[in-house]
Amino acid sequence: MSSSATQVNVSNNVTAPSGALMAPIVQMAIRDISVLFRTPWIIISRSLAFVIQLFVFAALISKLVNVTGLDFFQYYAVGSVVGTIASISFIIGYDIFEEAEEGVLDYLLTLPVSRRQFIIGRALGGAVRAMIYVIPMFVIVAVLENFSNPLSIAGALLDLFLLAFGITGLSITVAVSVRNANRFDVVLALIELAIARASTALYPIAFMPSYVAALAPFSPVSFAADSTRAALIGASLDLVSLAGLVAFVVIFLGLGAAFYFRRVEGGVYA
Amino acid sequence: MVVERDVRILFSDSFLVGIMFANFAIDLFVTAATFGRLIPGGDYFLYIAPGSNFITASVAAFQSGRDVWREKHIKDLTSYLLSLPAPRPVFAFSRIMGGVVRSLIATFPGTLVIAYLYGILLGPEVLAAFMIVGLFSLGIVGLSITAASFVSSIEMFVTVRSAIQLYLSFLSTLFYPVAVFPPALTFLVSSNPMTWAVESFRSLPQSHGLVGPVSVLVAPSLAFAALGTLCYLWYAKL
Repeated sequence: MSSSATQVNVSNNVTAPSGALMAPIVQMAIRDISVLFRTPWIIISRSLAFVIQLFVFAALISKLVNVTGLDFFQYYAVGSVVGTIASISFIIGYDIFEEAEEGVLDYLLTLPVSRRQFIIGRALGGAVRAMIYVIPMFVIVAVLENFSNPLSIAGALLDLFLLAFGITGLSITVAVSVRNANRFDVVLALIELAIARASTALYPIAFMPSYVAALAPFSPVSFAADSTRAALIGASLDLVSLAGLVAFVVIFLGLGAAFYFRRVEGGVYA
Repeated sequence: MVVERDVRILFSDSFLVGIMFANFAIDLFVTAATFGRLIPGGDYFLYIAPGSNFITASVAAFQSGRDVWREKHIKDLTSYLLSLPAPRPVFAFSRIMGGVVRSLIATFPGTLVIAYLYGILLGPEVLAAFMIVGLFSLGIVGLSITAASFVSSIEMFVTVRSAIQLYLSFLSTLFYPVAVFPPALTFLVSSNPMTWAVESFRSLPQSHGLVGPVSVLVAPSLAFAALGTLCYLWYAKL
């Protein structure tokens, strides 16, 4: 606890140079990025899922979908990138849960990093590594669908980053709220499934049953999918979806931080 | 006793069974219902509905492999298992059967829902529906224990599980008929256990006997179960 008190003081030192405050955040983020890339199996399985979804499922199901004005392959291709980044962003929760189970969290808490820097660094690391991971897939879709406007691409990448940042916060919230390992696995998988399936990532809202269509507009994956499509296909900004994404990030980063502190510090937030 | 132990492990957290049903409900009432509206002609919703239940069955069946892996690498239960007063092949096959019973329990409500949608809930075909789910689960439990026997880390097991589930879901007739596949893939699709299972289920309302639809799964499922049993014996050094 004495160590955390020291960290509280450091984090409250508003006169510290911004570079000194940023360095630990960047260190935490770099650690999380390297952790993901040290576990190639996760990357292999998610990449395989993306490739099969795009080149088998989307290609074949597009032959069956016959809706005027809807290029379903293009729709699904953009949505599958959004779905994949959501999926990979959830992995940070598994990392944090495992660290707590294996006692690595205790070691991490002894590092000379304030709690606030610690949580921001972890969330940032989770989001950045998801971006690094998904960019090759984004490139595949951009080449296939001939998306070449730099502003549209930048807008789409911003949407993806915001989604990744928010989901990282959501994943951390779940990781520190659920104690049982089996239950944690299944709860996280269920949340992942629910927010991806009940969203506009994979199919247009007009074709959803009414009970799904009522919820889908509020899924963060819908915000990201709509905004990304607006940027790439319509070369425009979907401000409502963008605002929804920002709200999602703020809410779940805040919740993630609050739950994390409550777990490690018994409720003392600093 | 061994089967009962495995079932008790499943129900040690009954929340898990509920979550599996929730997964099934999302697959059926969100994804399948939406694709049913998106794809014109015929009743696509009914076409893909059985697949939702078989996906749940495969998830439940793969839990057996995960448990076996955890027993050796995390819980260090090998010595305890070696001390049990049961012939080892019987014990190993009982683990497989335990996985099948767990899968049948996890998919019980789903099988009833799909049987209702197919109009066979009150007929003898419902028994065939459970037999198809059970036989499919038998093969997948065998596969999952085989996978658990050869992987050294849980990440690798999860990757193998994902690869098998991708094959079962997307390279089968779960979502689309075999005719839409390129000729190069038709062999993979036709030899997929998911194809056999969903096609058997779809044929139930029109079948004139229960043996025909079920029989196609018997030999491959028993073969996978035998493989899983042998691998488990070798893996646990039983």
